[in-house]
Order: sequence, then C-alpha cells, then structure tokens
Amino acid sequence: MNIWDSLIITPFINTLLFIYNLVGQNFGVAIILFTLVIRLVTHPLMVKQIKGAQAMQDLQKNEKWLKIQEKYKGDKEKLAQEQMALYKELGVSPFSSCLPTLIQLPIIFGLYQAVIYGMATTPIDLLNLIRHIYPALLKVETLIPLNNRFLWMDLSQPERLNIPGLEFGIPVLVAVVVLTTYIQGKLTQPANPNPKDQTAAMGSMMNLYMPLFMGYLAYTLASGLALYFVASNLVGIGQYAMLGKVNWANVFPFLKKKDEKAGKGKNKNR
Amino acid sequence: MNKRKTTLIFTLILATVLLTSCSAGLSGSSWPGISTNGDTFYVANLAHVYAIRATDGSMIWRYPEKASRTMYFAAPVLVENQLIAGDYQKILHSLNPTTGTENWSFQANGPWIASPLVANDTIFAPNGDGSLYALDLNGNLKWKFTATRALWSQPVGNGDTVYQASMDKTIYAIEMATGALKWSKDLGGAVIYSPTLSADGMLYVATLARELIAVNTEDGEILWRRKFTESLWSQPAIHEDTLFFGDLSGKAYGVSRTDGADIWTQSLTEPVTGRPTVTEESVVFATENGNLVALSFTGERLWSKTIEGKLYNGPVQFDDKLLIGIALGDSPLKLVTTAGQDVWTFIPPK
Repeated sequence: MNIWDSLIITPFINTLLFIYNLVGQNFGVAIILFTLVIRLVTHPLMVKQIKGAQAMQDLQKNEKWLKIQEKYKGDKEKLAQEQMALYKELGVSPFSSCLPTLIQLPIIFGLYQAVIYGMATTPIDLLNLIRHIYPALLKVETLIPLNNRFLWMDLSQPERLNIPGLEFGIPVLVAVVVLTTYIQGKLTQPANPNPKDQTAAMGSMMNLYMPLFMGYLAYTLASGLALYFVASNLVGIGQYAMLGKVNWANVFPFLKKKDEKAGKGKNKNR
Repeated sequence: MNKRKTTLIFTLILATVLLTSCSAGLSGSSWPGISTNGDTFYVANLAHVYAIRATDGSMIWRYPEKASRTMYFAAPVLVENQLIAGDYQKILHSLNPTTGTENWSFQANGPWIASPLVANDTIFAPNGDGSLYALDLNGNLKWKFTATRALWSQPVGNGDTVYQASMDKTIYAIEMATGALKWSKDLGGAVIYSPTLSADGMLYVATLARELIAVNTEDGEILWRRKFTESLWSQPAIHEDTLFFGDLSGKAYGVSRTDGADIWTQSLTEPVTGRPTVTEESVVFATENGNLVALSFTGERLWSKTIEGKLYNGPVQFDDKLLIGIALGDSPLKLVTTAGQDVWTFIPPK
C-alpha cells in the first residue's frame, strides 16, 4: 500500500463503511453523510478560501491597485514588485484562496475514490476493498456484501428509473446532478459581475459547461458517484449560504426586481 | 475559439479523463476465464471472447471483432455446438464455437460475473442481479430462482439438483427441472468462488467469513466448519481424501475432507488465490503476484514458475500441459508443461 492509500484512501474507506454500519447498512445514506462529514471537516479551509478570494476581488477595485496597473502596464517586473508591496501593505495574500483549495483537493479526490472502492462491483474490486478494511474497526463477514440499493437505484450501476410502459429508463439522478451543479454555480456567482473581469467571465462559462460535464459523468458512471455529486452540491450550497455568500437573485430573478424596487423606494423616501 | 474557452474545455477534458480513470477501472478487475474442447481453447478476457488453437496458440476468431465498452468476467462454457459467455453489460451470448458468430442472446438485469453450469440440456446461469436463470439450449427462459444478493460463483450440480452459493451468505439447493428450492443454508459469510462438489455428495465452500465449510448435499446439514485467521480467496480442490486451497497470507493447505484438520501446510509467502489444479502427480497453486507453485500431494515443493502479471485462479489442465490465465500481464494466456516449461504465449492481435 502506498502513502496515498495509507493516509487518505484507507481512512476514508473505513470512515465511509463505519458510517454505513451506523446507519443500518444503507450505502446511499452513508455516501450522503460521509460527504457531509468531510465537507464539515474541511469547512474552515473553505471559509479561508472564500475570504481569500473575496479579499482578492476587493483588491482589484482598490484605487492603488488600479493606479499601479495603469502606471506599470509596460513593465511586468516592476508591476509584480509593486503588487507584492501592496499585498504586504493591505495584508492580503495572493495564496490565501488557492492554498486552502490545494489542501482540499486530495481530500475531495480521496472522498471520491473511497466511494468508488466502496461500490466494489467485481471480485477483484471486492478483494481490493477488503484489503483496505481495518479489522479492528470493521468485520468483513458482517459488512460484505454491501447493500448498494438506495431508493430505486443500484448504486454500483448508472442510474435509470424504469417506468412501466416505457421501453427506456429515465436518468432522473443525472437531471438532479445537472440542476444542482447549475444552481450551485449560479448561487455562488457575484450578483453583478464586472463584464471586464476575466475571472467572472471564466466563472460564467464554467457555470454553463460544468453542469453538462457533471451530467455526462453521472450518466455514464455508477449512480453512487452521482449521488455523491448531488450531496456535495447541496452541502456546498448550504456552506455558502451559512457564510452569507449566496446570491439567490442569480437563480430567482424576481428577488432581484424586489431588491431593486426596495432600493428605488428607499431612494424616493430620501 | 478564444483562449479562455480552449483552456476551459481542456480542463474539463482533463478532469473527465482523471475522474473516469479513477472509477471505470474495469480493465483491472477481471482475469481470463478458460474452457477447452481439446483442440481449441476458449478464453474470455477483457473485451473479447477468443478461440485459440491448442497446438500453437494462434487465434481462430474473437468475439466481438471490435472491442466495445463491455467486458467478459466469466469463463465461457462449451456445450454441444455452442459456447455460452456472459458479459458485464448484462447479456449472455451463445456463440458458434467454430466461427464465433452469435446464435442467440439473453438479457438479464445485472452483469454476468460467474460462468454458467450446463446440465440436463439446461443452462443454469447465475447473474449479478441475484437470479439464477435456467434457459433451454435455444436461450428461452425455463425458470428463474432469485436470491437476495448477487450471484458471483458458478453453480455446481448433480442428479436433479443445482447448488448455488450467493453473496447473501447462503447456499441454495434448487431442483433443476422446476427451480423449486429444496433447501438453503446460511453459511455466515459471502461466497465469491464456487463450492466444490465431491463424488460422494459433499460440498466444500470457502466464505468471506474466513471459513471452510463442508455441507451435505442431501439436506444442507453442515458437517464441519473451520475458521481461519486469514481471508480465504480460494476454492478448494479435491484429491482423494484431501482438500487443497490457500489463504491471502500465503499459506497453502492440505486438509482432511472428513473434518477439515490440517494434513500439511506450506508457506508460499504470497497471497494464494483461486482453485489449485490437481495434476497426476502434483497440485499447482497460483499466487496473486504471479507465481505458480507445484506441490506434491504431501506438501513438498516440486517446482515454481514466475509469470508476468497476476493470477487469480489455478491453471486449466490440458493433456500434460497447463493453461494459465493471466491478469494485468503482457499476455493473458500462457501454455506450460506440467513441469513448468513454456510451450507458447498468446498475445491478442490489436
């Protein structure tokens, strides 16, 4: 077993299976709770990442920043020096948003791989899973076979809802993945992005392509993973909402109109 | 297309490759399953079923000609003028053994992980959906028997009864003609490899509860059970009154058929997998790390041979030679003599 396996995958698999046992051997519920637990554990990192990103966004509106950009636009080296000096002066770290993301990445990949290991659909997959189980924590004989059924789904297979009379199955979970990914992207987008802001433009494009990409994965891969995508999206929305970083008006435009009306009303009163 | 868009699409493609390679690793989840009629070897491996000449290892045909997304996990079974092979995409195929063309197919609700048993003009095919399907030789469903979990092991049968071990920790005795349950027995652990049926009507089965259990086929009574300290990923082989198998710690056992007591043990130092092969003068064990080790019936080491790749089942005996199915190796198939010398190696054409 390599370091990645020992430090990330094995503990994650055991946590997932421990939760599975706790919730009466329901793998669907275990995936949802496991996602929630991991996201809660990494919540402080996410807070740092959001704060860092916000600080960087605010910095780009700072007068000094804009002046520096204008003044040294022909001298990249000097521009970098001045930017660093400004970072120092304002107490902003350019790495404060990407470092927590980098730390979270192996955790997210570990979580993803733990779910895949847990769904062992072939004998060799099962052998690999058994080798990752801590015998002091979990008993193979009571644990295996894992109960992969959740609602109408076999979590080890791509999901399709079969309705009597229809010759094909409907990929309901795929639709939920696409929808929740889109909503999460929209909710976490700034309310009025600056059209010249490259990051915002990239974010808008991601909001368009990402749901399709996740939908493709959910359509082709085991539904246990699709369930994890949905849980992860919903927990993500919850986390952003808790931090007050959700722009509901991006998804519900009538809220925007309400806000605008309220704003105008206030102005009139003045 | 502007630079931003290109970067984004490239990132998404990269992410797709990364995520799907983490999850869709079926190619490393299978090992070649082999059957033979004496002149030809039929091998199910990864995306194809191959017919291979026994004399020189050259390919006669393969099915399908072009690889698709499907995989073959179960060894094909030869019956009269057809070869039965189930795939991971839920379809059981009947192929013409001479030409490799399809006679008929049958779709179940789950993947076919285990080989079928053919007896009394009936195909007894266990499926990952938990059902044992009984089909006539034209692929028509006669009956199905449903267990509570997936069926990953090949059934065995004698007379009018088929015995099916299941991942639901139970072994079922089912009437071949009607699919009616005769008896069932809770084994206390899931079963991956098939039970072994002796000529005197005893079933010997290893479970994931690290037990080897002897079951009477008459009534399902457990005659003895023996708990081991290490996991058993093996199917016992019989020679006279001895059962041979191994465990994942690398120990090979010869135990008494009467009570499961050790007759001898031998350390092979690597995980022992699958069913050992009994030849005229030896029993050949396969280890996961790619070693074939031949022991005498009293446990003395005779020879060993290292194969490039992983072994999850014992070799198939053919005359005085052994055919080895290799997973994750340079070639999926190798023919060696019973003394361990190479005869030929099969490399699938691209």
